[in-house]
Amino acid sequence: MPGLVVSSAIHLASMPVLRSLVPILVAVWLLFPAPGRALDPVQAQADAKSLWQRAEWLKLLHYKPGLRPGHWHSQADDPAFFLAAGGADDPRAELDATLAALRVPADSGDAHAQCRFVARLTWLRSELDLGDLPQPDCAAYREFRSKVQARQAVLIFPSYYLNSPSSMFGHTLLRLDAGDDADGAEYLSFAVNFGAVVDARDNGLFYAFKGLTGGYPGQFEVDQYYKKIREYNRDENRDIWEYPLNLDADETERLIQHLWELRNIRFAYYFFDENCSYRILELLEVARPGLDLTSGFPLTAIPIDTVRAVQNAGLMRGKTFRPSQGTVLRQRLDALPDDLHEAVVTLAQHAEAIDSVAVQALPPATRARLIDAAYKYLRFRQTGPARDPAVAERSFRLLQALKAEAGALPTPAPQPDPASAPDASHGSRRLAVGGWHENDRDYLTLGLRLSLHSLEENRNGFPRGAQINLGNLDVRISDRGRPDIQRFDVIDILSLSPRDRFFKPLSWSVMTGVERQWTEGRERRVVHVNGGAGMTQALWGDARLYGLATGRLEYNTGFRDPVQPALGVRAGLLVGHGALTLNADLGAEQFANGDTRLRAALRQNLQLSRQQALHLELLWRDQQPREEFAIGLRYLHYY
Amino acid sequence: MKNLLIGAALLAASSIAFADAPGGPNCGWGNMLFEGQSGIGPHFLATTTNGTSGNATFGMTSGTNGCSVDGKLTYGGKKMVSALFDEFSADVAAGDGQALNAVAVAYGVPKEDRAAFASLAHRNFSVLFPSENVTADDVASKLETLMKSDAQFAKYVS
Repeated sequence: MPGLVVSSAIHLASMPVLRSLVPILVAVWLLFPAPGRALDPVQAQADAKSLWQRAEWLKLLHYKPGLRPGHWHSQADDPAFFLAAGGADDPRAELDATLAALRVPADSGDAHAQCRFVARLTWLRSELDLGDLPQPDCAAYREFRSKVQARQAVLIFPSYYLNSPSSMFGHTLLRLDAGDDADGAEYLSFAVNFGAVVDARDNGLFYAFKGLTGGYPGQFEVDQYYKKIREYNRDENRDIWEYPLNLDADETERLIQHLWELRNIRFAYYFFDENCSYRILELLEVARPGLDLTSGFPLTAIPIDTVRAVQNAGLMRGKTFRPSQGTVLRQRLDALPDDLHEAVVTLAQHAEAIDSVAVQALPPATRARLIDAAYKYLRFRQTGPARDPAVAERSFRLLQALKAEAGALPTPAPQPDPASAPDASHGSRRLAVGGWHENDRDYLTLGLRLSLHSLEENRNGFPRGAQINLGNLDVRISDRGRPDIQRFDVIDILSLSPRDRFFKPLSWSVMTGVERQWTEGRERRVVHVNGGAGMTQALWGDARLYGLATGRLEYNTGFRDPVQPALGVRAGLLVGHGALTLNADLGAEQFANGDTRLRAALRQNLQLSRQQALHLELLWRDQQPREEFAIGLRYLHYY
Repeated sequence: MKNLLIGAALLAASSIAFADAPGGPNCGWGNMLFEGQSGIGPHFLATTTNGTSGNATFGMTSGTNGCSVDGKLTYGGKKMVSALFDEFSADVAAGDGQALNAVAVAYGVPKEDRAAFASLAHRNFSVLFPSENVTADDVASKLETLMKSDAQFAKYVS
């Protein structure tokens, strides 16, 4: 075809009157080299720039590389998010469909692509000359923006809460602040939270299973921050750390526009990897093009690790602490002399004691502190129970007294040391290299743990008495070079919160995995599930003494009947001093088949640096008739 | 099926089908002081989901407790008093605090006037809270009356 045109042109060019037309004809031919697609100048620009391959586009549509190179799949699990039929797997088709949809006539109001996909429109406008676009009326979007205005974004980390599987690793959400005055104004800010949309009819373990395996969809919700403060600080008794980010006005704008696009859009929710924290990182990647936060989390996204990723990317401007209701009460109590603690309880139970001689004789500042503590203690106890008129009356009496003494109330307690914030802790993952001497054998161990922290490990940034181990694998290599499993802990959780007259938490443990036990003359790998409940007592400083009643179910080929239950007890001491943390742990168990086991372990952890430690363990086991004594030294590296 | 159910809940949450005039039966801030939060179930093993309730808001609920939305600023302040009622009462007694400040912000009181606002509320604690059985509605109304009769704050209450 082109050859014919050229030869015709040359022939025509020999005719003087038509000679002047030739350049025009050639130009016209060049402008329209192929029908259809390139008749659309916008599409042509997009093709020329290969916009569909750009990181901004891929991030906006949540595409991740597919199994084969050059293939993509979006993690948005919702057809409503895509304008092209196969858009979930085809960034190019999705871009084409978006460009087309943006330009359809404006009579669908809020359903118009320009109103639904504001971030896409903004980006495409900056990259292409879209020409004169129709002007749909985006009433819903305008209403959204009238409420959700932000100049600053803050990364929020509600801290570890062991009494709920979804909360024991912490959580992250974003807060959008309109102004930059704090001290209460942030109550009205909007919080952006990604969570699973649960079916209220499911319960307990079914929730747990579905959450772990992607059985629930996840979506974003935007709600006022005071509700989050209440949920975390009060209802769940969790401290909140807030990390203001340095996103500029354009970046924050981009984030909010994209958030609008994600309204009611379902994603798969996987507790470990595509979870709350992972999606927040994605929002930040959209806000600041070029940022790569998510590639560091291919398998798991432990919330505190995502906080550190944001920190390492240079996004943070600082950190502030918002204490839980329990922490505030603890601060108030610590500000009172110990001999007045009994009076706090008395006052909370008998508000008329305010008028007693003893209370009135106290110096004004102390009296004010006492009433404040009693009021806070009474209200702390009431988080949960329904309104009781008698308690309300006592609360009000204390409140009135507080008002009367308010002038003498001292200023609130200082903020905790930022160096002890959760982000300052050791890394979640751990490599362990060690050597062991056990009775007559020596062996090496190599260990890898996915997360998170054991009782005796470097203490900074973790709650005392909290142990959360997930995916802990230790491999032993005998002196003949044969590898074997030393232990594999799927889950190993221990929560040791001390009881006193004010706080009465239950201490508990849950553990399952594979370990080695001596039975019937040889050491075997056994599969076990065990749990315990009990109490912890605080001793001097941070030291804790604990005792638990335990139950165990074990699969052991050395038993005649391989599946055996056992009951037992466990007790221990946890002490920390400077760089050294010590955990002494004793256990005794009796199986249904009569076998008994005794165990005593002494674990010493010497902190070498934030991410390194030396771990010495002495373990004595009496698994009749054989007694075992092992000593191991390991080097631990966190990352 | 589950998706449909949740979807229906989302639609319902954003509707104002039951909107009432303020003071009407479905509308208002009739919660009493020290109501706290009854019915928090135990969390142990309850969830691995950091779940949203499914009534996922997107900043767009009517937010006025079933009342018709008419955009008056006072609804913002009243809503905050109701939402933070216990915390607000404690802050008014003490003379300052974040909940008290949040209410001031909700009424549109600028930063430089907030200390005076706190002082106004604190001085008048017994007017605002005559007993433990006051409702948020009562307290907000009394607060607004106090603001109206104070030259500095009258402009924030229409």
